[in-house]
Amino acid sequence: MRALYTAATGMAAQELNVQVISNNIANMRTTGYKKQRAAFQDLIYDHVRRVGAQASDQGTMIPVGVDIGGGVKTVGTPRLMGQGTLSITGNDLDVAIRGEGFFKIQMTDGTFTYTRDGSFSTDSQGRIVNAQGNLLQPTITIPTASSQLSINSAGQVSVIVPGTTTPTVLGTINLTRFINKAGLNPIGDNLFTETPASGPPQDGIANADGFGDMQQRNLEQANVEVVTEISDLIAAQRAYEMNAKVISAADQMLQSTSGMFR
Amino acid sequence: MENLGLVGLSRQMTLRRQMDVVANNIANINTVGFKAERMLFQEYLSPTAHEDNFVGRDRRVSFVQDRATMHDFAGGPVEPTKNPLDVAIDGNAFLEVQTPAGTRYTRDGSLQINNQGQLVTSSGFPVLGNNGPIVFQQTDHDINISQDGTVTVLEGTNRVDSVRSKIRMVQFASPQQLVKEGSNLYSAGPGANPQQSVTSKLNQGFIERSNVSSVTEMTRMIEVTRAYTELSNMLQSQGDSRRTAIEKLADVPA
Repeated sequence: MRALYTAATGMAAQELNVQVISNNIANMRTTGYKKQRAAFQDLIYDHVRRVGAQASDQGTMIPVGVDIGGGVKTVGTPRLMGQGTLSITGNDLDVAIRGEGFFKIQMTDGTFTYTRDGSFSTDSQGRIVNAQGNLLQPTITIPTASSQLSINSAGQVSVIVPGTTTPTVLGTINLTRFINKAGLNPIGDNLFTETPASGPPQDGIANADGFGDMQQRNLEQANVEVVTEISDLIAAQRAYEMNAKVISAADQMLQSTSGMFR
Repeated sequence: MENLGLVGLSRQMTLRRQMDVVANNIANINTVGFKAERMLFQEYLSPTAHEDNFVGRDRRVSFVQDRATMHDFAGGPVEPTKNPLDVAIDGNAFLEVQTPAGTRYTRDGSLQINNQGQLVTSSGFPVLGNNGPIVFQQTDHDINISQDGTVTVLEGTNRVDSVRSKIRMVQFASPQQLVKEGSNLYSAGPGANPQQSVTSKLNQGFIERSNVSSVTEMTRMIEVTRAYTELSNMLQSQGDSRRTAIEKLADVPA
């Protein structure tokens, strides 16, 4: 009975759907998190009567065929890269990107990763690092005794050094853009790496060339909307139940067949 | 007497296939752009003997046969996603997709950009514009897709829209002839003549959900299982009465 297996593919798909939704909900307070959604497609069809086949000797054609589908498959879990809302934190080294672009982070092995999480701090040498202690690129070192750290919308970092009254520019936080940012590979810790699907990274300066601008003392919240996720969760659960009902209905049909023989 | 079993069997076979169709609809309740299928049945009259000068003419027995699965092309609910590469088609058109097997058609507008900058479907097949695949440059950003399918971008520092292509939307005189290929794709037969659609519109930032109605499918499922069980009961009682007949007739009185 094909319906049994068809419904099983449906249950498996909804199970994955719930996994994706629960990961979104789990990360609803994760800075710079981008939600995912499960994408489904129908499986191949069994063409019992193919459309266009000859229906009679007179050359009439079957106008509509009998096609029986085999269920559903998951094609991917694309990430929706929409902007998250900004929340004010008041922390000098919190930076949110409003628009396109990622911060570039240098890992301990020298490779680069990319993030939207702009909750930075300084390490023992005064260098700007991310929450895991990896260096923000290009490296900017903040002198120990400086005050009034300011990051402007173009990413320029400046401080007031003791004994002076005018700000000293320490450097500029660059942004990196990808043609297909949805194709980036998430590696956890709010970090992404480049993939063949994302295209090569293009570095640039915030507030120019279509890059977003930077907002100091702000963090970008996850772009997860709780209402959407919960309604998706309900829909997924009901779909799962319905597929389970199909299985029991198909089972009932089989049972009534086997009941015919006594 | 024998015909009863065969007629019942013909119905049971079609009911099983109808159940398969219902199961596929329900399995695809979350598939973007999926269109539900409906099964149509027809009567099949058994052929009779050509000579009809028997005593008591040959009577025709009517069986049931599944004639077709109709595509239900009603629009599915449209969901806002805020994703600039999601498009929902308002109207009866399809997007044209380039696959290794030839041009295919889809209603699934959850699009992506691949590593070559091409606009592709979630399975990675290029979506066709008026001049073939739609290609973006590395410096493109702020992609805008207008209702008629025109794709514009801002390019680098240039603050003026540059047109990249126009997404082709085609429609068919008889869309029922489209064949579902799986992977949200339809193929068109050799006779089909896709026409550029002028009435359909694209809505950027939306996707069209599956048009499967859970209530309809559940009702149909109940209908199918009940009809199937009834037939089983009927076939069973037929078997029972035959057995009774054999027992009674063979019962030689002492």
